[in-house]
Amino acid sequence: MDDEVRRAEFEELARGLVEPLRRFLLRRTDPATADDVLADTLLVCWRRADQIPAEALPWAYGVARNCLANAERGERRQRRLAAKVASAGVPDVVPDPAEGSGDEAVTAALAALRPPDAELLRLWAWEQLGPGEIATVLGITPNAASIRLHRARQKLADELRKVDGRVGHEESREGRRP
Amino acid sequence: MTDTHDFDRDDELRARLRAADPAASLGPADPERVARLLEDTMSHDTETQVPERRTGTRGRNPLTWLVAAAAVLVIGGVGVFTLTGSPDDDSAPPVAENGTGSSDGPEPVVISLRAPTGASGRCMVPNAEVLAQQQVAFAGTVDEISDGTVVLTPTTTYAGDEADRVEVVQPSEEMTQLIGAVDFQVGETYLVSATDGQVTVCGFSGPATPELEQLYTDAFGG
Repeated sequence: MDDEVRRAEFEELARGLVEPLRRFLLRRTDPATADDVLADTLLVCWRRADQIPAEALPWAYGVARNCLANAERGERRQRRLAAKVASAGVPDVVPDPAEGSGDEAVTAALAALRPPDAELLRLWAWEQLGPGEIATVLGITPNAASIRLHRARQKLADELRKVDGRVGHEESREGRRP
Repeated sequence: MTDTHDFDRDDELRARLRAADPAASLGPADPERVARLLEDTMSHDTETQVPERRTGTRGRNPLTWLVAAAAVLVIGGVGVFTLTGSPDDDSAPPVAENGTGSSDGPEPVVISLRAPTGASGRCMVPNAEVLAQQQVAFAGTVDEISDGTVVLTPTTTYAGDEADRVEVVQPSEEMTQLIGAVDFQVGETYLVSATDGQVTVCGFSGPATPELEQLYTDAFGG
């Protein structure tokens, strides 16, 4: 009986989480890995259903982030092993999720930042999170999230000025895709 | 606002970033696949991570026992230390030092930790439940060891503030032998956890072996 209630509750909650989690992962990895990690993430959520806070999504992003990090560590290990076993190796090229996304200056500027700074900005702009929610995802204090977000924004703005200075005038401003 | 670029206004910067969102043109997931995914998820046993199970040993990874056995051997009944903090602990949790907050300087974020000092207690079996309670946990590579301080660059942060650098006061040799404090070597990668600025010992922190990685993964939601 309890089990049924638990399942029903989780299903309702998880239905709301799947789509944002899927997007979160597709922004950060290739589609196949995103699929795997989405399943891992949901499994962790299911097993920790009792610990899911009222505001579930930032917490779930945090879980997805850890699952993705694990998947990538495992993948790196496998690649190292594969490289040892077969000299032919496996393709090392991981498709860049940001590839072909329109504003190349932004892509270039993000790539020039320290990875933690770039991730803060993605969480802020792509997942549309505020500092408090970002803090939940990253497991840091809201204060730290706020300070780092502020700095990351400034660094991105600086990078954009540099990048735009180099290529900005070659492109038509109207060329930006919706 | 007279500048040619107006990036200081957050809205514009956010809008520009959003325009580069690779998922912007993504259609919604197939509802049937989502239903199947959820069904698969809920077909798994949920009993494996009951939070109250403090003393139970059900489902423990056999490797954990191996680590535990090693820890017991190391201790040899001589040095006994607890992970859960010494009674005279008046130290604040480690907080990343990153300046005065609003300053713009690029000074690195540094976390300072130390090896445990003598305290009474006993080693417990390394387990994910206790590890999950640590305030700081990260994987990092030792860049240098000088003047008794080990400097690590974190590669993965499991818990606590993200830092550019973590400094650990190097444990003395006898501590390393007595309680399994970490014997840091330059260039090697370690998994380190700490609470109240004190690095965990007894097998909770150590070289990044697959077994220890698994323990950290279990503890921090991987």
